[in-house]
Amino acid sequence: MKIIILGVGNLILGDDGVGIHVAHKLKQQIKDPNITIDEAQTGGMNLLDLLLGYDKAIIIDAVKTQDKKEGEVNRIPLNDFSTIHSCNPHDVSLTQAIEMAKKLGEKKIPKEIIVIGIMMKQIPCEFKENLSEKIATAVPKAVEMTLNEIKK
Amino acid sequence: MKTVTIDPITRLEGHGKVSIFLDNKGDVVNAYLQIPELRGFERFAQGRRAEDMPQITSRICGVCPVAHHFAATKALDAAFNVEPTSAAKKLRELMYCGYYIYDHTLHFYYLGGPDFVVGPDAPPEKRNVIGVIEKVGVEIGKEVIKHRAYGQKITAILGGKATHPVCGLPGGVSKGLNKEEVKDIETMVKSCVEFAKFSLKLFDDIVLQNKAYVDLILSDPYTLKTYNMGLVDKNNKVNFYDGKVRVTDQEGKETVKFEPKDYTKHVTERVEEWTYIKFPYLTKIGWNGFKDGKDSGIYRVGPLGRLNAAEGMATPLAQKEYKRFYETLGKKSVNSTLAFHWARLIELLYATERAMELIKDPEITSPKIRNPVGKPGEGVGIVEAARGTLIHHYKLDKNGLIDKANLIVATTNNSGAINMSIRDAAKGVIKKGKVDNKTLNLVEMAFRAYDPCFACATHTLPGGMPLQVDIYNHKKQLYKTLKQNL
Repeated sequence: MKIIILGVGNLILGDDGVGIHVAHKLKQQIKDPNITIDEAQTGGMNLLDLLLGYDKAIIIDAVKTQDKKEGEVNRIPLNDFSTIHSCNPHDVSLTQAIEMAKKLGEKKIPKEIIVIGIMMKQIPCEFKENLSEKIATAVPKAVEMTLNEIKK
Repeated sequence: MKTVTIDPITRLEGHGKVSIFLDNKGDVVNAYLQIPELRGFERFAQGRRAEDMPQITSRICGVCPVAHHFAATKALDAAFNVEPTSAAKKLRELMYCGYYIYDHTLHFYYLGGPDFVVGPDAPPEKRNVIGVIEKVGVEIGKEVIKHRAYGQKITAILGGKATHPVCGLPGGVSKGLNKEEVKDIETMVKSCVEFAKFSLKLFDDIVLQNKAYVDLILSDPYTLKTYNMGLVDKNNKVNFYDGKVRVTDQEGKETVKFEPKDYTKHVTERVEEWTYIKFPYLTKIGWNGFKDGKDSGIYRVGPLGRLNAAEGMATPLAQKEYKRFYETLGKKSVNSTLAFHWARLIELLYATERAMELIKDPEITSPKIRNPVGKPGEGVGIVEAARGTLIHHYKLDKNGLIDKANLIVATTNNSGAINMSIRDAAKGVIKKGKVDNKTLNLVEMAFRAYDPCFACATHTLPGGMPLQVDIYNHKKQLYKTLKQNL
């Protein structure tokens, strides 16, 4: 089984880059040729392009939440995200990109897409390279959860 | 000095918010848009190596990394007192065309297009790219995907990486093109030219042949008579990558034309209490509040701004479309906000034609892709991002480290106009306090036309452009809230 692990986020926007921090840690630990670890600061269509051809995709990203605790890490199947709107005003969401690709007969979409989500109340709007304390503690949790996920 | 804050609006982060104020009859008095603005870039940049800026700034925004990359690279050309080689300029511009091809395609078919192709009255669940495909058919859908991907691939070949280019260096680029790559790009560009022609035909069939749509485009709530700004070449034709900044008035007459390095003399940034977004205006005209007309220095950038600020397109097919645009929508300038969509497709055609000229240029495979740099100083780089004029300005210390950095991004240049367009659309469609999701969409259409970029929401899951519309009655009490993705 070919797996892709994708850290998503912006490394120069503080906590927003947490997914990429996690991917960097995983890179040091995973040496399996069937597992690709990559990073992306993009959404929707571009994100889908990176996933095509793999059997399973694990996306590590910040998830904005109102009711979960800051820094909590959750495993969320992509289908559980309800929104169908654009990821940013200039792109479609990953769910929508997938729906469209299916409609157009794309055969290379991963059968399973799992999000390892790091919960935060507010996505930062200030340029910074470091993670906040709370989110930094989520990194090892997200690493562990991802390692468990590839064993499944 | 007494500070006046507009109650009950507070600055907010993380999502867009439109606040609409009604009078005692339930008609709109005013509306404000607040969008998240990334902060602290100047401090973040200070002390960093100048040559890292093209990479760092391409990360500012997941939407236009290529535009930031080259605005930064051009600022460094200027700051290191070096003129890039002729081949390097062509390679950069070719890559830039690739970026326009995917970006404009994405906007028309995925984001702005649904309003017209599916229709402004269609239910929200249909008004998206899936609805577009249902309307135009799977075969065309495949063409859309294919050509968007071609644009990406062209940028990737030239830039080293699709989303975050690594090729721009002061004085040139790090990578040239070989014959094989030229062949690949030429094949893709050829197909893109046909696709752009097809897209304009589609727009003609669906939108321009439909009187209701044309009436909507030309209607008052979607008309804004501002100044226009864009880069032009030496013949005053639209240019995305290089040239002077030209500003025209509401009738298309030149107000001012200036070198990028002089932008601070011509543009002033205004700060308002209720938002982090700044509102730039033309210094010469002055700030006159959120008003259009000759006495207000507010200007528009982006596809419509560029077409209005220029005297034509530099390639034959796009020039033909340019003429038709003004013949159809009246004389210059076209001040109809929804005409942004048509202007965007004309630019798509130009990008493909220009890419073809560049890829056929024998110099494109030249190995002379970089000139040696001079002593560090100060530099301004201006490019046209797909959504409008983008300015990078750096001051370097003697060791080549950033001492000061200032950026004005496209959506900021448009911020005054976007605000007014939302207000006018709200005034046009909200009567006697009647508000629903259809009304919300008609208001949204006014700002979607600008293809704005709210930096914060670039990728974060669950995604969705979080937008909240709060409507206040004449006592400024919250009367109704409409939300999406919140």
